[in-house]
Amino acid sequence: MSEKPETPNVFDPFGMMKNMRDSNMENWAKAMTEFVNSDSFAAAQAESLNAMLATSTPFRKLLEETLSKSMQALKLPTTDDFVRLAERLTNIEMRLDDMDAKLDQCLESQH
Amino acid sequence: MTETMNSNSKTLTSPFEDVCRQWHQSAKNLEVFNELLTRDAKIAQTPKQVIWTLNKAKLYRYTPQVHEDQRHRIPLLLVFAIMNRPYVLDLRPGHSFVEYMVNKGYDVYLLDWGIPGPEDRDLKYDDYVLEYLPRVVRKLKSYTRSNEFSMLGWCLGALISTMYASLRPDDGLKNLILLTAPLDFSDKEAGGFTKWVNHPSFDPDRVVEAFGNVPGEMIDAGAKMLKPVENYVSNYINLWENIEDTSRVEAWHAMNTWVRDIIPMAGAGYRQLITEFYKENRLIEGTLELRGERVDLGRLRANLFNVIAESDHITPPCQSEGVMDLVGSQDKELFRVRGGHIGIMAGRGAEKSTWPQMDAWLGARSD
Repeated sequence: MSEKPETPNVFDPFGMMKNMRDSNMENWAKAMTEFVNSDSFAAAQAESLNAMLATSTPFRKLLEETLSKSMQALKLPTTDDFVRLAERLTNIEMRLDDMDAKLDQCLESQH
Repeated sequence: MTETMNSNSKTLTSPFEDVCRQWHQSAKNLEVFNELLTRDAKIAQTPKQVIWTLNKAKLYRYTPQVHEDQRHRIPLLLVFAIMNRPYVLDLRPGHSFVEYMVNKGYDVYLLDWGIPGPEDRDLKYDDYVLEYLPRVVRKLKSYTRSNEFSMLGWCLGALISTMYASLRPDDGLKNLILLTAPLDFSDKEAGGFTKWVNHPSFDPDRVVEAFGNVPGEMIDAGAKMLKPVENYVSNYINLWENIEDTSRVEAWHAMNTWVRDIIPMAGAGYRQLITEFYKENRLIEGTLELRGERVDLGRLRANLFNVIAESDHITPPCQSEGVMDLVGSQDKELFRVRGGHIGIMAGRGAEKSTWPQMDAWLGARSD
């Protein structure tokens, strides 16, 4: 059995508004998707990202340096100290993992 | 006389009662709406245990639900992308790929790459493919006492899995399932991401220099901007319209919880992704080297099931299809699914289309 085509109920203003919204939304979504896939959008996005980075990076670096110097003056560990510590821990973990692998090999050879 | 008065008051009050009821319902719905946007759903509920860790990475084993005799012999390792949380594979009870596969008798393992910290800013694909993944595979093999295993990679996890399968073809990988794998970037017009990052003004080095690790917010905004109206408008209108439909609301809430859980991407990995893959297409060109080893797709011999989402706007189908002619696998199949990048695995139709197909393919090759 074929389905009857949906006809908008003219006595239901909200139904008509909903249909209008849905059809407009679909067109709007399509237009926006096309826009963000365009060369002009790619160019605008890259330029605005560059502008944002050019403006914010010096401030961020200044803030990081100031914080780092303050922490050093207070004899407190800086972010870089934590980073170095974390890297060393990861190296130790890797060595432990290597030992675990060798232990597994030994156990396997005994079976 | 009294009866007439009562009936009059009824007709007078009932429209007001209706308005009040609707008002009350709207207020209640608004409260639910707000809660859904601000609170996390209970997700990743399938029982599991950690069996290996390294740095932020963890390997989970899901508790088997099927008796050992009925289980598939070959374990399955799930490898998700590095810039999202992997529990989208185990979203919520009754709608979880992990739960589905565990119930089908697979011994399922999940690699969670973890959340990179400032100390991980130098992590590259070289490290993921040749440092982390081989260790995971070693642990998996020793834990399961199986020399063979299957691997399922999704999105960038599929890229990592493909490179691993090409570089270590003798490690015991029997079956490889790729989901929406971004591998072939030869079409520079395909998809928003490709266009954006190939623009001459876009410089990934500047991003990495500024942030170290690329902020999750930036990656999230980029992904959402590919379909701005759907992600920023329709998504919430649809929720509002279905707010009294419990099953839809639960599904939306779980997915939104995952979407909101954004994580940064290691800076060096991001730079490498943009430069060596998106811009220079080195994997397909055969010029990609990881730690001095050339990645030759012809050396990939595992049975291959390549799943493509037909409406994928993040990894357009053309980025996954081309690999079929380049791999050395004898047993290979390209499977197209209707749906988007995430929807094919976590959407409402996944348990009736994608999952059973993957189970059928893998099941026939897992004993």
